[in-house]
Amino acid sequence: MEERGAEVVGFYLSHRIGLLCISLVFMGVVLELVRRSHLKERYALLWLGAALGGLIVGVFPQAVVWFSNVFGFQYLTVFYITSFLFLLLLVLVFTVVISKLSERNRDLAQEVALLSHRLSRLEEGHVRDDP
Amino acid sequence: MARTLVIIPAYNEEATIVSVIENIHASVPDCDIVVVDDGSRDDTASLVCQHGGAELLSLPFNLGIGGGMQTGYKYALRNGYDVAIQCDADGQHPAEEIPRLVARIEDGSADVVIGSRYVADSDYHPSFLRRVGKSILSRWIDLFIGGGITDTTSGFRAMNRQAITIVARNYPEDYPEPEVLVILHKHGLKVIEIPVQMHPRQGGVTSIRPHGAAYYMIKVGLAIVIDIFRRYAPVGVKQ
Repeated sequence: MEERGAEVVGFYLSHRIGLLCISLVFMGVVLELVRRSHLKERYALLWLGAALGGLIVGVFPQAVVWFSNVFGFQYLTVFYITSFLFLLLLVLVFTVVISKLSERNRDLAQEVALLSHRLSRLEEGHVRDDP
Repeated sequence: MARTLVIIPAYNEEATIVSVIENIHASVPDCDIVVVDDGSRDDTASLVCQHGGAELLSLPFNLGIGGGMQTGYKYALRNGYDVAIQCDADGQHPAEEIPRLVARIEDGSADVVIGSRYVADSDYHPSFLRRVGKSILSRWIDLFIGGGITDTTSGFRAMNRQAITIVARNYPEDYPEPEVLVILHKHGLKVIEIPVQMHPRQGGVTSIRPHGAAYYMIKVGLAIVIDIFRRYAPVGVKQ
């Protein structure tokens, strides 16, 4: 039954080993990025979740079949398309985050220019009423 | 006279910035000038400092023309100016025409006055492609704001207090001039244009590269449609 599951998914042993290795390396890279403070924990959790998904599928390929059954996917392709759409959504979310950050970045740069001008005016003794 | 501020955004304009400041002081003695140095790598900032005829706002890094202009408008807003004029640092915009722009603001004929290169008695002759591009853009903008403006890309403009308040809050990032018109229109402001004779560029390089023209058209064209539907935070302005 379990072997049949693996066949249905179309995973051979080499595929599973490959997937396991990729997931483990990915997990290691993510943890290392967090350790070096290059990646926030908030985003790291997401990627660790994805790597964990890869690990589970590598060890139990029938998980894909089980997952497809639970969500009523008739064809496994639907499963892959769903994953792809999820990644697409993720990229969209990130570009929204980047847009917001660059807007804040612009506002801060402008504020720095305005405040440092005001500071140098104050140092020169020109005090202005500035709301 | 109303408290008037001339905003000069400058990015690597060491060749012309001082003469531009001097021309403005000569033509409009009782206005203040602020130069927004948009992270120049040349001597623009130190020349302005040495000259002393203008206030200097130094952005910590390059924001692009939109971010630079907006800094100037924020300065105008916070320091209580009644009229703000934006003027290029390359000497193309004629300082001697500034009083005419300001006069139309002061007599209440409009909230924003654009110095236009196209109206009858100007002799600005852009290249054929540029003319076609700008004409398409102007038609497109006409469609949304009901027309009347031929030179939608002119960066030689005067704004009253109400307009300053709006643009200090919302300013598009790149190629901002046409979009600003749409934003002002959405806030119900009146924009007019008067003919001016532009000078040829005295130094520096244009920010719009020829191969960027198609991108320019598409970006601005789309942005204008989006601006129509965009939600703006309410701006508290006294009429």
